[in-house]
Amino acid sequence: MSRIDENQIHDRLERLSQVEPGQEATDRAIKKARDALMSEQAIPKLRLRLPPILAKLAAAAVLMIGAGYIGGHLSAPEPMDMQQIQASLESSLKSSLEPALRRDLLNEFDNRLQLALAADNDALKQELARQVRRDMETYAEQTLTTVSNLMEQRLMNFARMLEEARIKERRHVAAAFDYMGSQFEDGLVTLAAQRDNQWGAERVGPTPEVSEN
Amino acid sequence: MRSRQKELLGLLDKSGAELFALLTKLTLREDVTEELMQELFIKLNNSTGIGKVANWDAYVRRAAINLAFDWRRRQKQTILPLRQVAEPASNEDSPLGKLVRNEELQKTLDAVGRLKKVSREVLVMRYLQQESYDNIAEQLGKTSHHVRALCSRAIHQLRDVLGSNEYKPSKRR
Repeated sequence: MSRIDENQIHDRLERLSQVEPGQEATDRAIKKARDALMSEQAIPKLRLRLPPILAKLAAAAVLMIGAGYIGGHLSAPEPMDMQQIQASLESSLKSSLEPALRRDLLNEFDNRLQLALAADNDALKQELARQVRRDMETYAEQTLTTVSNLMEQRLMNFARMLEEARIKERRHVAAAFDYMGSQFEDGLVTLAAQRDNQWGAERVGPTPEVSEN
Repeated sequence: MRSRQKELLGLLDKSGAELFALLTKLTLREDVTEELMQELFIKLNNSTGIGKVANWDAYVRRAAINLAFDWRRRQKQTILPLRQVAEPASNEDSPLGKLVRNEELQKTLDAVGRLKKVSREVLVMRYLQQESYDNIAEQLGKTSHHVRALCSRAIHQLRDVLGSNEYKPSKRR
């Protein structure tokens, strides 16, 4: 016993009847169908209609050819030994064709080998040149870097030596000045002491020669 | 230009939109409908056994119905829902509700496809295209009463098919 009733079926059919495609899709479909029809029209179909007499003649010709084939097949002599024919053909073909084929194959192989070698040679040369150029560039770059570093190092050493010599010279000058200063100071002290002694003697005067006793 | 091509081009201009809508209702897929539309007109153009068709409009419509149901039979397992399916006003606006309703439509169409050819054509013309009994009778070369009877019988058959498909009692209950 089915539980779906007619109202439900009518409801579904009603919903189906309300399905409407979009206008764009409709136009596109009509255009496609039109294009398909027009392209069918552009390719005319070849329809040959033979007159009935020609069809009959053709059928008769087919029958005659069939009868001839069957007759010829039945009246033909015994077939030759196929294995023998095959062997003789094989040997004759082998003797005539094999040397020529071998020669052609060898020539072809040589040509291909030469071409391959020539191509490889060129490629090898180009690769070698590229490699040498790369190596030279690397070497030049490394040399320039090394020379630059060395030059810089030597200049720094030279500057350091100059600085050291200048400091040494200054020290010598300073020592000479110190020495000169100390000598001058000693001279001044000696001179002052002598002068002081001299002044003391002049102030005391000459010593009396008679005693009071 | 061949006379049939002329007739088909005229028909395409006159009834192309209607045919496309019919195919869309039966396939629920616009992309497929485009292909079917093209296929329909090419087949009609190349068909040699048609002879002199009196009513091209009716003939093409029936051919479209058969083509759509042939496609449904081939594509039973992978039919996707159409975005343009008109949703009736209801409280079931959830994705699950839409899915269920689309599934119902697909099952209904599959069930229609299992009916006899004449019942199927009558059902589609009457309920999906909303045509009158007289018009259907004219197209099919039958009387209006006969078409009425065919419609009624088709609905009963559809109910049986849908009932046997959808409401099978569960054995576990």
